[in-house]
Order: sequence, then structure tokens, then C-alpha cells
Amino acid sequence: MTTASAPGNRGNGARWLRQIWRGISVPLVAVLLAGLIGAVLLQISGANPLQAYGALFKGAFGSPEAIQRTLEKATPLIFSGLAVAFAFKAGLFNIGAQGQLLIGAIVAAFVGFSIEGLPAIIHAPLALLIGGLAGALYGAIPGALKTYTGAHEVIVTIMLNYIAINITDYLADGPWKDPSPTNIVARTPRIMPSAELPIFGNIPLGFIFALVAAVVVWWVLYRTTLGYEIRTVGLNSSAAQYAGIRVARTIILAMAISGFLAGLGGAVETQGIVFRYQPGFNAGLGFDGITTALLGKTSPFGVIPAALLLGAMRAGASQMQFDAGVAKEITDVITAFILFFVAADVIVKWLIRQRESDDEQVVLSKGWGG
Amino acid sequence: MKRIALLVAALLLLAMFAVACGGTTEQTVEEAANEAAETVEETANEAAETVEEAANEAAETVEEAANEAAGEANCADEGVVCVGLVTDVGEIDDKSFNQSAWEGAQQAAEALGAAEVNYIETKDAKDYGANIDLFATQGYDIIVTVGFAMGEATAAAAGTYPDIDFIGVDQFQSETLPNLTGLVFNEDKAGYLAGVLAASMNESGTIASVLGTDLVPPVVAFNEGYKNGALSVNPDITIIDTYHPGGLDVAFTDPEWGASTAQQAIDQGADVIFGAGGKTGNGALIQTAGNEGLWCIGVDTDQWETVPEAHPCLISSAMKLITPGVVDLATMSNNGEFPGGNFYGAVGLAPFHDHEDAVPQDVKDLLTATEAGLQDGSISTGYNPG
Amino acid sequence: MELTAPTTRSAATGWVFKNKWLLLIGAIVVGAIVYAYATNDRVTVAVLASTLRQSTPLILGALCGLIGERSGVVNIGIEGQMLLAAFVAFLANVYIGNLWIALIIGALTGALMGALLAFMAVTLKMDQIIGGTVINILAVGLTGYFYTAGLVTKGKFAPISLGPLADIPLIGPVLFNNPPITYLAIILVFAVHYVLFHTRWGLRTRAVGEHPRAADTVGINVFRTRYINVILAGAIAGLGGAFLTLEGVGSFERLMTNGRGFLALAIMIFGKWTPLGAWAGALLFGFLYALNTQLQFSGVGLPPQLIGSLPYLATILVLAGFVGRSRAPAASGQPYETEG
Repeated sequence: MTTASAPGNRGNGARWLRQIWRGISVPLVAVLLAGLIGAVLLQISGANPLQAYGALFKGAFGSPEAIQRTLEKATPLIFSGLAVAFAFKAGLFNIGAQGQLLIGAIVAAFVGFSIEGLPAIIHAPLALLIGGLAGALYGAIPGALKTYTGAHEVIVTIMLNYIAINITDYLADGPWKDPSPTNIVARTPRIMPSAELPIFGNIPLGFIFALVAAVVVWWVLYRTTLGYEIRTVGLNSSAAQYAGIRVARTIILAMAISGFLAGLGGAVETQGIVFRYQPGFNAGLGFDGITTALLGKTSPFGVIPAALLLGAMRAGASQMQFDAGVAKEITDVITAFILFFVAADVIVKWLIRQRESDDEQVVLSKGWGG
Repeated sequence: MKRIALLVAALLLLAMFAVACGGTTEQTVEEAANEAAETVEETANEAAETVEEAANEAAETVEEAANEAAGEANCADEGVVCVGLVTDVGEIDDKSFNQSAWEGAQQAAEALGAAEVNYIETKDAKDYGANIDLFATQGYDIIVTVGFAMGEATAAAAGTYPDIDFIGVDQFQSETLPNLTGLVFNEDKAGYLAGVLAASMNESGTIASVLGTDLVPPVVAFNEGYKNGALSVNPDITIIDTYHPGGLDVAFTDPEWGASTAQQAIDQGADVIFGAGGKTGNGALIQTAGNEGLWCIGVDTDQWETVPEAHPCLISSAMKLITPGVVDLATMSNNGEFPGGNFYGAVGLAPFHDHEDAVPQDVKDLLTATEAGLQDGSISTGYNPG
Repeated sequence: MELTAPTTRSAATGWVFKNKWLLLIGAIVVGAIVYAYATNDRVTVAVLASTLRQSTPLILGALCGLIGERSGVVNIGIEGQMLLAAFVAFLANVYIGNLWIALIIGALTGALMGALLAFMAVTLKMDQIIGGTVINILAVGLTGYFYTAGLVTKGKFAPISLGPLADIPLIGPVLFNNPPITYLAIILVFAVHYVLFHTRWGLRTRAVGEHPRAADTVGINVFRTRYINVILAGAIAGLGGAFLTLEGVGSFERLMTNGRGFLALAIMIFGKWTPLGAWAGALLFGFLYALNTQLQFSGVGLPPQLIGSLPYLATILVLAGFVGRSRAPAASGQPYETEG
């Protein structure tokens, strides 16, 4: 979003503004149109759309705590969104961010509760790192299977999602179960205070990490040889092979990095929000990464506003139900239409009379064929 | 221009909708709508400069409108009783524990003449605390939280808000807080009775249970009681039981798995099916009803009311009476007699309804005797959690 | 793709030679089933019946996916198509009370979602992954928002016994005593196979999916072909959804598809975009699920979570060890631009 600039300063400033307007006009109008459709649905079902949206807004931005909640909701989505977007750049569809995130979350919890006596400056980063690495390892499996046996990553990642649920449930109800006599449920012990991520004012450290991660992902993709190789493989793997890029290594590495990002997202959830691993507490975060990545047009920086938008709707949903009695599923409907209008920018651009831009059309499913 | 007109028209349409249901907020609503429409026109005509400013303005107006509409009764006032409920992940109409607890909250609110009774459905387990806070900060007097998973968040809230009484359904309390009572149940006893009934009605030598996940302690308690109850009647009986293999987020919402699993059990001779696991278990009940001459046993509430499709086989249900438990505790809270610690709600078998005549008198007598034995401790269910 | 390469051997030996692995696996499976039946007939029948039943929504979803992709449209919205169709079919069953009409309405709902996908993918040239995701989220939102508890259906499809066929031991109770959508699914597997590989329409569809430009040049209408295929495919996914509410459960619950649409996607790839291959995949899955339950029934002392991983581990093993590389139709996922 832009901040309003001095109105007197035309010329350069106006051009700059027009550029920004071009960038944000489509998403903005998409949100408005989706909101409109949502309003009609609310109206049909007998709710007051303005009251509902007002409450949604209040719950997402109405107070410092609300903003904090929005940031907390957006954080894992940025990580899983980056994970999915990164894999897309390599022509891979990582449906497995969910599983990688779960593995990262529980391993970070293990590092968090099992090691005593470390200073926070070592313990917290260590848990993050090992959580991320666990996700990377879990993400590398489909990459390796794809390169060595040809097994399609879409199948393997879907299967690994189910297996990750089983592994984490087993660990949380078995070897890593909270042994305290007061506990009867499946969960790990609480992590040590030294492994917790602090909150600065109302800004969780995890959110800052997420922003940093986006910058790093952008840098890796567009400023390093590895990024170049990954994007080349993503565009055309046989051409990449011909150009001397080691495709097998690139694919495994891309999946590992994707898994690392998702695992990091899980670790941040454990260390910043839940403070332990408990089954069910990370449900859907990885799948929502797909939505986030698509909404952000698979750009590392596009993922951030996309995650904030989704995070805000989640943060405000309870307030909406409390004030207006509106069921939360309406936010799913709105999300679907936002995604639709952002992707179908032909419609939106016709509506606001913007000329067809020549920016690259993303074709995500290109790498589908394996 | 045509396109802008279209946009504006669409927004005006929205405004009209809003005004139509206006009431108290009519004035502000119209203003807000006009502003929003203006905003769009401006943005469309000119560049981005004014977008954020105007959007904020519109949003603020909307927010004001919402606030005005919401604050009808002031729950913080002395003598005004407000009852709030936060569901476990899932919906208020889940035909299971969320629904039972909500019915309890509503009945309690009516009995106590409460000014407000409201609920929030939890969509993300990490929102437990935030959702409780929504009620607490509005000055609600009694807050019901549902499900063992919310235990930690509820205990934390009880510490933060000592003036509010919390009822934690399915939340066993190992420490006693004066303003937090865990409404807990001996599910194993209800399961034991169901097992006695199942084994008594059984002819084939095989009975089955189709369950939600073993990650949830009450589900395990029901099943262990069921198995031991059945064995107490017929030590040679074959009991085939199975838990949903998926995680918490799917184990209770997979009726087709419940149905096909029940059929698989039926195909190998099971003639009584115990379906214990939310909607997954309901699937098993309905599937059993589709076969001739079989019995099924429901769980949690009297499922005669909640799953009418299962009437042909539904002989009874292993109940934990959440609804009256919530009413009792809310009444105690209102009378200043809130117990704290754990409060054991009633468990038992639901009526046989239409199958009253199918159950022989000696089975009924056995059930009565067993219930008495469980009550006075002469019969043990053999279930030992931990 | 099914090529009939001319060889020096006679046609029959050639076929046997070409399919030796398939035949070997088939022989082992049949042998194992017969042995199991001899050991414990009831359990064998129970497991196999459960196998077929659990494979039904999966194969219907997979057929939907592969028809779309054969014509060049990737469909990851199968889950949403099934969920919405399940919901609407359920409502039709509640308010109309005729299962067959409800079944048709369920299929039409799937077709409508197919039309939406085709509109996004073909007309708007939207990225197809996004199009499918839109359908998935939309279905979760709409069904969740509009579902109200307390609606009671008027029953579900009962098994239809096929006369004397149903009396054959083992095969009879498993194959010839099923409710209608299960039969329909089996018929559709062969029908889709026939249409795709032995008719003009199938040839055109595959041409459009492999090389739309060339197809266009020889006068095939790419847009029209894709629209029709994706809509028909949607109707099949709709049957899969209707299976859940009209035949499997008899009632609707939120999110009741529980990932079956995504599994279908995996099965489609597993079967290398062929109906028969996908059917094998769906049956394998159904069997592993049934086996999973049976292992718990028999009281194996393992945590259910570990037994529960079995179907997925086995799939990865089979995929990595035997199936190997698979190739999607070349133009799958890419919008077609007319020249000029």
C-alpha cells in the first residue's frame, strides 16, 4: 500500500504514483469485487454486510492486539507461501508444504524442550535451524525420488503429508509426549523459555523473520547462480540440461530449500505461538501456503501482502462472528473470489480501463509433466 | 466511464442492501456506503494518492456503525448475566459435544434470565485464548469452553479473569482454581454399559467399534469400557475395534470412512456396532442401519435425536450428559456456589426408544444391576488412563 | 500411451511379452486372493468389498482429472467439485427425496464446476492451478456457510444384487452386489478407456491435449473440445461427490471429502493418465485402506498412526520402485492462444 505523498509535487512523483497504482490497482479492485460478492451472500443469508465487514476489520486492525494477531496469522502463511512459490520457480508443485511444516514444528519443539541450560541467543536460533533442516530433509525426499526414480512430486508430497500427520501424532502421543502428571492429552512438553521467540511491542519476531526470509528468497532466486539455475530448470529442464546445469542436483536442492522454508514456518509457530507441539494446532497452514503463493503470483514479495490479507481475514473472523453472528466460512468464499479476480486480471483491467500489461504471465502448471 | 459507472452502481447496490436491513445503523450505513462509493470513483478516476486515506475513512465509519449495532446489553453491569461459549475446532451444530454444550449454555441462559448468550466457533486451535478474551473483555459472567484441547488456554484465562466463572467441558483439572470447573465424565462407565448391552444382544459372537482418533482420551475411555463390559458378559466374544488412522483434523469428520469400516466389520460377522467418533461414528451408525437385523450404539448424546437415519438399528447410546452438566454448573455459578476443581457429569445409556421390546427383560435387569455396581464401585470398568 | 507396435512375433505372444510384468503381478494378486479366501472366506470378502467401495470415489475423481488433462486442462479442483456436488446432491435428496434425481443433480453440479474451470482455463486463460484452487476454496466456503444441521435425508442407495451372478462365491458378493454408483464407476472406467483410445472424439481430445496447434490446423476446435471434456469430467467428479452423500454415508458433513480429491489426483498420475492404470491405483489404495482397518481389527499391537501410514508408504514404494517416470499430456496446463 502507498502512503499519500505531497500533492504539489507532480511530474516525477505522479509517474511514480502511476507505477504503484498499476501494481496495486488489480489486487485492490479484486478485493473490492470479492467483498461485494461476499456482501451479497451475507445479505441473502440475512446478515448485515457492513456490520460483518466492520467487525472483521476491527478484529484484524482495530487495536494493537488485533494487529499483532493479524501478523501472527500472516507469519506461517508467508513461510509456507514462500515454500510453495520457490518450488514453482523450479517448475515443481510442492503440495507437501503442510507435511514439511509439521515436521519442522515438532522437531523445533523437541529441540526446544529437550535441551536445558542454553542461553536464548543460541537456543532459539538452534531450534529454528534444526526445525528448518528437518523440513528441508523431508522436502528433499520427493525431490530425490523425482530425480532418481521419476516418481512424480505431486503424488509423493501428498503421500508425505499424510505420513507427516501420522509421524507427528505418534511422537506427540508416544516418545515425545508431555510426561507431566497433569497431562493426559497428546502433546509435547512446553519448550524452554530460552527457545521462545520474543515479541517486540506488538510485532512478533517471527514476522520479522518472515520478511527477512522473503528478501533472502528473492535474493537467492534473482541474484545468485543457484537461483538462475533453478529458474532455468523451471522454465525448461531439457534446455537447462543442455546448457550444462545439473538438473538433478538443482531439483533436489530446490525441494530442500522449499522444505526448509516450510519447516521454518512450523518452527516459528512452535517457538513463537504455541510453545509446544500439539496435534491439530498447525492444521492447514501448509495448504494455505498454496493459496498464498498463488495470490502473490509466486513472487517472494507478492507473498507478503497476500499472507497479510489472508491473515487479517483469519484474525478478524472471530470478531465477525461475535459482533455480527456470521459464520467464518464466508471468509473462504471471499478468498476464493479474490484469488479469482487477481488471476483473471483481464476482467479487472477491462473494468478499470487499464491497458494489458506486458509483465510476464505466470504459467505454474508448466512443470506438471515431470 | 461505463466501467466506472458499473463499479459505482455495484457498490450502491451493496449500500442499498445494507440500508434495507438498517434499523439502528441506517444513518451511518448510508454515509459509509456513499463514502465508499466516492472512494472508488476517485480511485478509478485519478491516481492512487487518496486511496488509503479514503479507504481508512470509509473503514472507520463502517466500524463505528458496527460498534453501535453490537453494544445492546452491557454484560459488565452488575446484575446483568451473560453466558458465552467457545467451541473446540469445529461447528456449533456438530451433533456432538459442541452442540450439547451450546444447548446447555442456552438452557442455562434462559433459566438464569441472561441478557446475552453467544458463541464463537474456533477455526484455528491457536485462537482459543483470543476467542475466550473476546467474551472476557466484554464482561461476560460465565464462559463455557469445549474440549480437552482448550484446557491450557482456559486455565490461563481463569487466572487472568478471576471474576469470571469458567466451565471447561472435558477438561480434567489437576489443580484447583476457584473460578474454573472442569466438567468431566467417566466415559468408561458409559462405554462399559454399552459393552454389556452389545454383548447381550450379540448372536454372531463378534461385535465391533468404529472410533475417532485415540489421541482423544474420552474416545479411548469409551472404547476400553465397551470392550471390558462386553467381556464381562461373554468372555469368549470377539471384539474388533478400529481408530481412524488420520490426524485430529480429519478423524472426527470422515463419515465415509466410518461407514465403510463398519461395513467391513459387518461383512466379517459383527452384528453390533459401536460408533464413537463424532461424524465418523455417525457414518458407522447409518451404514449399520442399512443392513437387516443388526444393532448399533451411538455416543455422547442420545443419538436417536441427532442421527434419525440410524433409527432402524440404534438401540441406545453411551451418553455423557454435557447439556445438563453445563446447566447445573452455570446455575451454581449464578448462586455463588461454583465448585471449582472437577465436576463429574452424569453418564449412562440412552433410552431404547422404538427398540424397547427388542431388549429382553433379563438384559434390562443386568444393565440396571451393572449401573448400580458401577455407581457404588463394586464393578470396575478396568480402564486405567495414563 | 497404448501403442500397438508391430513386432515379428504373433500378436498374442507379443501382447503377453509386452505385458509380462502386468501379467505376473495379476497372477500374484489372484493367487493371494484365492489363498486368502481359502484361509478365511469372510474376512477376504469383507476386505475386498471394502477395497472396491473405498476405491469408488477415488477412481471417479481420477477419471475426472485425466479426462481434463488429456484435453490439456489441469484440474486440481477435483476436491472442490466433489465436495460441492456432494452437498448439492444431499440437498436434492433432502428436498426432492428421489435418489436418482439427486444423483443427476449431483452430476450436474460437478459439470457446472467443470464449466467454471473451463471458463477460467480456456476463456480467461487463467493459470489452471489457480483455477482449481479457486474451486477448492469456494467449495469449502459455500458448503460450510450454507450447511445447516438438522436436515434429514430420505435414505441412501441400497446394494443391487445382480441375480445369479451375485451367488458366485467370492466374486459374487464383492463384484455383483453393489449400490449403483459403484457399478457406474466400473462401467465408466472402461467407457472412458474406450472413448479416449478407440474413438474419433478420443483421438481429437488427445490431439488437443498433446499438440493443440497441430489439432487446430487440421480443423479441430480446441476451445470447444476442452470445454466439453472438462464439463463431462466435472460430471464424473460430481458422481464421486454424490457417492459420498447418496451411497456411502447418506448424509452430508462439512469437509467430508477429506482429501479424496487430492488422492484422486495422485492416483491419476500414478496410473499415467490412463483409465485402467488409474483404476489399478484406486484399487490399490482401497485395498491398503481396507488392510489398514483389518490390521487394527486383528489387534496388531502397533499404534494406529503407524499402521495408518501404510497406504501412503506403500504408494511411494510402488511408485518409486515399479511405476517410475510418468509423462503428462504435453499441452496440459497451458492455455491455448489462437494465432493472430
